Amino acid sequence: MSLVGPLLLATFLFCVGVYGLIARRNAVLVLISVELMLVSVNINLLAFNNLLFPADAAVSGHMFALFIIAVAAAEAGVGLAIIFNVFRNRASINVDDVDLMRW
Amino acid sequence: MDGLLGYAWVVTLLPLLSAAAIAAFGKHLPGKGSELGVIALLISFVLALGIAWQTFTAGIAEPFERSFEWSPLGGGFVLELGMLVDGLTAMMFVLVTLVSLMVHIYSREYMRGEPRFTYFFSMLSLFTFSMLLLVVANNTLLAIIGWELVGLCSYLLIGFYWEGKSNQDAANKAFLTTKVGDVGLIVGVIVLSAGMMGLGTSTPFNFLETNAAAAAGELSTGTIVLAMLLIFVGCVAKSGQMPLHVWLPDAMAGPTPVSALIHAATMVTAGIFLLARLFPVLAQSAVVMAVIAIVGVITLFFGGLLALVQDDLKKILAYSTVSQLGYMIAAIGVGGYTASIFHLFTHGFFKALLFLGAGSLIHAVHSNNISDMGGMARAMPHTFWTFIVGTLALAGFPLTAGFFSKDEILLAGDGWAGQGMFTGNLVYWVGLAAAFVTTFYMARACFLIFAGENRSHHPPHESGKQMVAPLMVLAVLSIASGYLLSPFSSEEYNFETWTATPLIAEATFPFLEEGGEATGGGVVAGGVELAAAEEGSYSMLHGVPSWHPDLLAIVLVLFALAVFLAWRFYGRGLPERDPTLNMGVASKVLVNKYGFDAFGYRFIVVPVRDPLAKWTTWSSNVVLDGIVAGVGRATKDAAMTTYRVFDERVIDGGVNGAAFSASWWSDRLKRIQSGDVQRYAGALVAGTIVLVLAIAAVR
Repeated sequence: MSLVGPLLLATFLFCVGVYGLIARRNAVLVLISVELMLVSVNINLLAFNNLLFPADAAVSGHMFALFIIAVAAAEAGVGLAIIFNVFRNRASINVDDVDLMRW
Repeated sequence: MDGLLGYAWVVTLLPLLSAAAIAAFGKHLPGKGSELGVIALLISFVLALGIAWQTFTAGIAEPFERSFEWSPLGGGFVLELGMLVDGLTAMMFVLVTLVSLMVHIYSREYMRGEPRFTYFFSMLSLFTFSMLLLVVANNTLLAIIGWELVGLCSYLLIGFYWEGKSNQDAANKAFLTTKVGDVGLIVGVIVLSAGMMGLGTSTPFNFLETNAAAAAGELSTGTIVLAMLLIFVGCVAKSGQMPLHVWLPDAMAGPTPVSALIHAATMVTAGIFLLARLFPVLAQSAVVMAVIAIVGVITLFFGGLLALVQDDLKKILAYSTVSQLGYMIAAIGVGGYTASIFHLFTHGFFKALLFLGAGSLIHAVHSNNISDMGGMARAMPHTFWTFIVGTLALAGFPLTAGFFSKDEILLAGDGWAGQGMFTGNLVYWVGLAAAFVTTFYMARACFLIFAGENRSHHPPHESGKQMVAPLMVLAVLSIASGYLLSPFSSEEYNFETWTATPLIAEATFPFLEEGGEATGGGVVAGGVELAAAEEGSYSMLHGVPSWHPDLLAIVLVLFALAVFLAWRFYGRGLPERDPTLNMGVASKVLVNKYGFDAFGYRFIVVPVRDPLAKWTTWSSNVVLDGIVAGVGRATKDAAMTTYRVFDERVIDGGVNGAAFSASWWSDRLKRIQSGDVQRYAGALVAGTIVLVLAIAAVR
C-alpha cells in the first residue's frame, strides 16, 4: 500500500491545524486545531507502522496512537475547563483578549 | 669563659627595641608607653649587673671581643660590627642603664600630662641605646655611629619644648657646637686608622688592635699626636670643655630628667669614655697628655667659677658638671686612667641625684630660680636629705663617693708631679681650689633653697613616690659607689682591677722612662706586683689608695671654710645684695660667661649665619618653593587630565553605556513577550521549520 495517500492527508490536516492554531481567534477553534494536529500525527503513526511491519501483528504504532488519543482527550478536558473559566470572567473567548502574561 | 659577656649586645639593643615599640604603639598602652621603657631598661640593667659582676670578679682580665665582618672596605680592609666587653664597658653599662632606669621611672611622674609624653619616652630609650652602642662598640667607626646618635637624641630632647624659640636655639647650639668637635673626631679617627693601615692589619678601626699597636710603640709619634689631638677636640665639644662648653648650660632648656641623663650618664661622659678607651694610645705622647691636662684644669676651675653667679638651679648644676668633667679630663691628662673613670662613675650617680632633686624642687615651686625657693627643707624632707647627700658627694665631703674619686684624681696629679711633670702640680692645686669653689656654690644653693623663708608663690609639697624613690636609690649610691676604690676596698678586687686590662696594667708612659723618679715601687694591683713597678718606672695603675691625712685635713678645712662663708652670706635667706653678684669686674666677667657667648655670637654666628641665611632664604624661596610648586602644579594638571580623559570618558562612559544599552535593548526585546499565545505558537512553528531546514541542509 502506498504511503503517499495517508501522508498527504496527514500533512494536509497538520497544516490546517497549524493555520487554525495561529490564525483563529476563537479559543474553542484553537483547541480543535490542536486536536487536528494530533490526529494528523496519529495517521502518520498508523501509516508508518503498516510500512515497517506489514504482515505482522505488531501494534506499537497503534499503541502510540491510542496513548495520544487518551492524552488528547485529557488535554481537551483541561483546555475546555480553562476556556469556561476565561469566559466566565471575561464574557469572551477571544484569545487576543487573554494577554495578561505580557510585559 | 664567655658567660654573660656574649650577651652584652642584648643590653644595648633592648632600649632600641623599646624605643621602636613605644613609638609604634606606646600611645595605646595604659602607661602611654613609659612602662615599655622601664621594663626594657630594667632587663638591661639586670643583665648589665651580671656582666659587671663577671668582669669584676675576673680582676684584671683580657677584654672579651666578638665581631663579624660587616662589609669589606677595599684594599684588604674590613669594617667590623662587633662588641668589646671589658671592665670599662661593664662599668659604663651599669652606670648608663641604672641612671637611665631611674630617669625613666622619675619621668613617669615628672612628665605626666605633658603633650608628647610618649615621644619623650621613645627618645629617652633611643638616647640610652645610642650611648650603650658607643660603649659596646669594638671599633672607632661603630663608636662614631653611637656618638652621633647621642648627639642627635640630645638635640631632640633639649629641644623637646620646641614651641619656645629659646629652646630651639639651645638645641641648635648644642648640636652645632658638638658638631664642630665631631669634625675633629672624624678626622682624628681617619688619621689614626690610616696609621693602623700602614701596619698591615685588616681591621684598622679596631680599638684593641690600635691600643696594642700604640703600646708596643708601632705607631709613629706624629700619627698619635695628630690623631689624639683631633679626637680630643671631639671630646672637648662632647664633654663640655672650654672653650666649647657653651652648649652645655643652654642644654638646660630640655626637661629636667633629660638634663640628668645628659649630664650624668650619657652624652657628656662620651668624651671621657672615648679618651679612656684610647688611653694606651694617648699615653704615648707627653704633648697630648699635657694638652688634655691643661684644658681639663682650665675647665675645672673656670667652669666652676661660673656657677657662683647663677640663679637658675639647673645652670648651677650645669656649670658644676662642666667643672667636674674638667676634673675627669685633667685626670686623664695626668695619667689617672682609673681616677678619671672612677670619678665619671661616682659623678654619674650624684649628679643624676642632684638634677632629679632639682627637678623635684622645680616641680614643687614652678621656677628654676633659687631666689624663688627657700625653706624647702620642711616641706620636702626626702628631696632635702637626698639633695644634701648629693651636694656632700659633689663637694667631696669625706667618706662620700665624691671624696674618694676626687681625691683619687688629686693623688694622680700628685704622683704625676712626682715624675717631674708640671701639669701634675697644676691639677693638684687647682683641683683643690676648685673643690673649695664647688663647695661654696653648692652651699650657696643649698642655703638659698632649703633655709630661710619660702619665697615662692606656691605652697611647696613633697613629690610623689615615683620621683622620690629614684632619689633615694641614687643617694645611697652616691655614698656607696665610692667604696669600690677606697682605703677600705680589697686589693685584689676593686674598681681599678675591674676597669683595667692587662695592657694598661703592664704598659708604662714611654716619655717618663728616662730621668723619671721611680715612685711606682709599691704599686700592687690585682694582688700582683706590677711588672712596670718592678722596673722602677711609673705605672698607669696606682693600686688601692692609702689614707692621706694631710690631704684629708686640707679638704676638711676648705670644706668648712666654704660652708662657713656661704652660711655668712646666705644662711639667713636671700641677701639684698648677693655678694657673688657684687664683686665689681669679677662678677661682670662671670655673668657674661667670660664673653664666650658674645664672642661666639659676633665672630662665629653672625658671619656664618647672615650670608648663610641669605642663601638658605633664596634656596628656600626660589629653589625649594619652585620645586614644590612645580611638583604641585604638575600633579594637579596630571590629575585634571586623568579626570577628564580617563575618569569621565572611560570609566563613566563604560558604566553609563552599560546601563544605557541594557535599557535600550530591553526596550526592544520586551516586545517579544507580547502575551499573545498565538504569536508564540507561530514563532514555534517558524523555528521548527527553520531547524528542520537547517538539519536537512547540513545532511
